[in-house]
Amino acid sequence: MGKRVFYVTNNSSKTRDEIVSKCSRLGYPATRDNILSTAYLTACYLQDIVFKKKVYVVGSKGITQELDAAGIKHLDVGPDPMCSDVASLLRNEVQLDKDVGAVVVGFDEHFSFPKMVKAATYLKQPNCIFIGTNTDEILPTEFPLTVPGTGTFVRAMETCTNRKAFKIGKPSPYVCEAIIKRHKVDPKKTLMIGDRCNTDILFGTRCGFKTLLVLTGVTTLGEVHQLEKSSNKEDQELVPDYYIDRLGDMLPLIS
Amino acid sequence: MAELCLHSPICLHGIGKEKGSIRMSIKNLASLSRDEVKNLFSSIDTILTDCDGVLWLHMKILPGAPDVLNKFREMGKRVFYITNNNVITREEFCVKCDKLGFTSTKDDVLTTSYLTACYLHDIGFKKKVYVVGTSGISRELSRLGIRSFGVGPDPLISDVATLVMKDFKLDPDVGAVIVGFDEYISYPKILKAASYLNHPDCLFIATNTDERGPSFINDCVIPGTGSMVAAIETCAGRKPFLIGKPSTYIIDAIRKRYNVDPERTLMIGDRCNTDILLGTRCGFKTLLVLSGVNTLDDVMNWKQSDNEEDRGLVPDYYIGKLGDLLPLLT
Repeated sequence: MGKRVFYVTNNSSKTRDEIVSKCSRLGYPATRDNILSTAYLTACYLQDIVFKKKVYVVGSKGITQELDAAGIKHLDVGPDPMCSDVASLLRNEVQLDKDVGAVVVGFDEHFSFPKMVKAATYLKQPNCIFIGTNTDEILPTEFPLTVPGTGTFVRAMETCTNRKAFKIGKPSPYVCEAIIKRHKVDPKKTLMIGDRCNTDILFGTRCGFKTLLVLTGVTTLGEVHQLEKSSNKEDQELVPDYYIDRLGDMLPLIS
Repeated sequence: MAELCLHSPICLHGIGKEKGSIRMSIKNLASLSRDEVKNLFSSIDTILTDCDGVLWLHMKILPGAPDVLNKFREMGKRVFYITNNNVITREEFCVKCDKLGFTSTKDDVLTTSYLTACYLHDIGFKKKVYVVGTSGISRELSRLGIRSFGVGPDPLISDVATLVMKDFKLDPDVGAVIVGFDEYISYPKILKAASYLNHPDCLFIATNTDERGPSFINDCVIPGTGSMVAAIETCAGRKPFLIGKPSTYIIDAIRKRYNVDPERTLMIGDRCNTDILLGTRCGFKTLLVLSGVNTLDDVMNWKQSDNEEDRGLVPDYYIGKLGDLLPLLT
């Protein structure tokens, strides 16, 4: 139908190439240029502001590899567990790198107290940039468990630093700008499709897009109806223009 | 999701409100006459004192503080040490006090680890507790016959998918999650806590919400219990029941166990948004020492604030440091 398709994901654990591989494996054609992931957009943001220092990353290789691709220096990621006790950690083991000028917090399955100490101590300097890749509180799962999302780590760090992170992913304004400016998109002729009202639909509303909610993920129809009835103006921004049970149900309608 | 709150504070904000006009004239204790100080203390039976910033600062005694507490006891006042510390038991806290020159027995000490155990005991809690915290909490729970698990390292061994699909199964006997300071905080612990909290009947308790630790070692920021609580609150989508200052649970716990009259109680602290606010909410008289977190400028700003909530942060009295009281009491 001649429409340009972009994959927009708050996932910060994968590089664009890894997302392309995953998409292809699952039967969705994609190239690097139509992937907008938060690891990539974080690197874009640091390039936009001409960042020349080093980044302390609380996150995964998804982020560090995108930083490498953009020529931005960073410290290593991976496990950083408590080895001794709090006093020894603070006295002997925290060696800060003077060249760090930014802290990026993304999804980190190896989140730990030593990492929190280091990140918070770097962020004591007011000119150290504080970036959160996204604020999704949980990841969707079919199991009767709660799977914490990046929002968990970002809120922990905002609390102990008493600072707010600059947010990259949906629904923040940065990803709107990145799409509209970098890809010359006309918001009025753009449709956002998502499964989560407080990221995807809110993002679409704020960008001036039309919005379509699919019910195969996080938000339920019940929740949408509650938002519709809410007198809170902010809740109205989370209400989609359209909804459908699943994306596949569109096929007979458009062929 | 509705907050499970089984506790209705005895102390009403209203009590503080009646005293609002008196509260607006903050008095410098050091500038009062000895008779005025004598009158103040003859209207007080119980003294609650915060510790870090009042009695000691970064493990160094604040001069005169031990003598003032001893003087209070000589005068027949009951003195309680109140601390949001939840990593040690009351006995261990007494040892720490002793090293710094303060006399105490465990009955004088109210740590949030102990108070959390008191709370569960008071509500007749019979199930198991999942603890994101230290043995300061699990040992106090065990003393009151409450079963718990979860303390210590719990790192991610494989990956998140394996943890979710295979490695972790919910224990059906868990009826509460307690979050305190945990230097072994990890993704698996946050996941487990939030998963238990999925069930609306599972209690969610936080020992305190201090954002950073009181001390500074090597200029490092020490993330406090509040940051661990924020992590779990975010993915659980629920707010916890708060045990420590400025929650008024402390006064309920004290009154259940000791004979204390809020109107004849003095709260001494260095932090307005925990110590003084607790005092205001409970109808205590409040004394701010300027040897810790808040300054007189902070207090004056709140006094002039249009926001009614800010005025709850304004103390009745202030003094440079606790030791400055000594000449006024002798």
